[in-house]
Amino acid sequence: MEIWNQLLQGFATAGTPVNLMWAFVGCALGTAVGVLPGIGPATAVAMLLPITAKVDATASMIFFAGIYYGAMYGGSTTSILLNTPGETASMVTAMEGNKMAKSGRAGAALATAAIGSFFAGTVATIVVTLFAPLVAEFAVKLGPPEYFCLMLLAFTTVSAVLGQSTVRGLTALFVGLAAGLIGMDQITGQARYAGNVPELLDGVEIVLVAVGLFAVSEALHAVLFEGRIVETENKLSRVHMDRSDWRRSIPAWIRGTAIGTPFGCIPAGGTEIPTFLSYATEKKLAKGENLKEFGTKGAIEGVAGPEAANNATVTAALIPLLTLGIPVSNTTAILLGAFQNYGIQPGPQLFSSSATLVWALIASLYIGNVMLLVLNLPLVGFWVKLLKVPKPQLYAGILIFATVGAYGMRQSAFDLFLLYAIGVLGLVMRRFSFPTAPVVVGMILGPLAEAQLRNAMSIGEGSPMIFLQRPMSLTLLVIVVVVLLAPRIVKQFSRRSIEAIG
Amino acid sequence: MDAARKLRDQTLVGAGVIALAVGMGYGAIDIPSDAGYAGVGPNFLPWVVSIALLLCGGFLVYEARSGGFRDMEDGDDEKPYWPGFVWMSTGLLVNAALITTIGFVFSCALCFVLAARGLRNAQATPTGGLRSWGTDIVLGLLIAAPVYWMFTKFLAIGLPGLTQSGWL
Repeated sequence: MEIWNQLLQGFATAGTPVNLMWAFVGCALGTAVGVLPGIGPATAVAMLLPITAKVDATASMIFFAGIYYGAMYGGSTTSILLNTPGETASMVTAMEGNKMAKSGRAGAALATAAIGSFFAGTVATIVVTLFAPLVAEFAVKLGPPEYFCLMLLAFTTVSAVLGQSTVRGLTALFVGLAAGLIGMDQITGQARYAGNVPELLDGVEIVLVAVGLFAVSEALHAVLFEGRIVETENKLSRVHMDRSDWRRSIPAWIRGTAIGTPFGCIPAGGTEIPTFLSYATEKKLAKGENLKEFGTKGAIEGVAGPEAANNATVTAALIPLLTLGIPVSNTTAILLGAFQNYGIQPGPQLFSSSATLVWALIASLYIGNVMLLVLNLPLVGFWVKLLKVPKPQLYAGILIFATVGAYGMRQSAFDLFLLYAIGVLGLVMRRFSFPTAPVVVGMILGPLAEAQLRNAMSIGEGSPMIFLQRPMSLTLLVIVVVVLLAPRIVKQFSRRSIEAIG
Repeated sequence: MDAARKLRDQTLVGAGVIALAVGMGYGAIDIPSDAGYAGVGPNFLPWVVSIALLLCGGFLVYEARSGGFRDMEDGDDEKPYWPGFVWMSTGLLVNAALITTIGFVFSCALCFVLAARGLRNAQATPTGGLRSWGTDIVLGLLIAAPVYWMFTKFLAIGLPGLTQSGWL
């Protein structure tokens, strides 16, 4: 009952005209950002981080959250209509969605994606509403050793498990940790790696790193390598699903949501695994004619399931972010940065110390999902026009917004040079297949993890045995080891069985 | 990219990581180890990062020397178009150098024009001509100016202007 009251309070806060306006602008901007290639939710939120100096915390978190999940709706439009997916999360949607659009069923694909996103987003929001307070209550009992192990788990999954290569993922993570070291040490106030540059004492701004790595490097990559890629656009047909589409979509939405939600809840990050899992499940369950459509004419289940899984994961990922303060993707890491700009540290105390903010944010998720359904179904034709923006002007325009974000944070032209340098670094990383998410997560979570580590060691009076003596932290350490080793063992095993057969 | 060059570039990337590791280690020497009760002080993580980067860099060099980075994506063989890169880089650096003197609007419009030029030339059928320059200049100003007004007037974010009026 208490949850119910607090949720109603949240609706009261989120329902004020000003906050509704922020939610709407966030959702619209998020959809636009999702549709436009070359710019994703992480970049958009990062570029707009300077507004935290002026806009109040509740309004800007509602705004940022709108961008965050709005981009998931918009991303599916691009991946269905263009032959290049707008973001990694919609790669799976692109496989079947594109085929459907090619055989003249773009409208049905868009409809199942939007309705599936709405269904999954709403269910996952209910899960957040019901479980986040419980997790927070439980998390209060965790001490520094457990927190440190949780963060270790987040580092491991984001760097070693999600990418193609463990060594490149770890390299990226440690580069991020190195960037996080610059500036004042949280515990002793000792300056590290700041040289004699006063700007560096405050540390490197998240905005710079995120905008440099995503926006500037994206533009540089486009000018160097993507000029000759010819994009083809599929024709939009009437957004409509017939009876058989509904019959095939509904179970896929439910399964996708069931797969996606738990993946979001655990600090194991990324939408790639749940979306691929959902796709594989749908393909496995399909029979007869429907199965034949996979990979040929495009099967609607292959769009409905992954899209639902995608949105469920993204929404449920707010649970570890809000209750533990642990981000597992680029965008959630930057959302954490936004909280920090207000001097708010997400974690178990958030639900008591900033109850108004949290519940308004959760209420805005319900409202935002409805707004997005309207924005994406009847108005989809409007967003499709964004795909016609010519590439030169699009990327050049992104650079203007990148300047706003980078300069607006500290009013320093030095930061713009640094932004370029980080952009070049991002270009090199992309060229050699280094993932970027570990850099951002490492940079933001690194200082927090270090503080937890040193506090934990103080509890253990300087002995690292403290991590093994407490059951929770020991369990988490075992999970970290399993997560690191399991893929290798599976790989070894499957290689051996292939050799045995062949 | 031919194979030998690819391996050389990958070795360079690995070497770069090692150089970063050495730099981090060099910087860590000066950080006091004053640990208190914790047993680990402010210099602990810097050393961990430095050593880990050294290991990663070493492993990357090893991979590069023994057949190249593992598990790479295929199809990254397009030829880079360096003139476009130069156009865009010039745009970004000129923007950084001039923003405080000529103001956000003109500086960003200039960056827009230069970057768009690079991207235009990079396309399979470049769109040149005097008219395209005009289009880009107008578009650059049409994007930069409203952005400037929106952020300075509504959101009170400090962006540099040419004049004190707050409009340019």
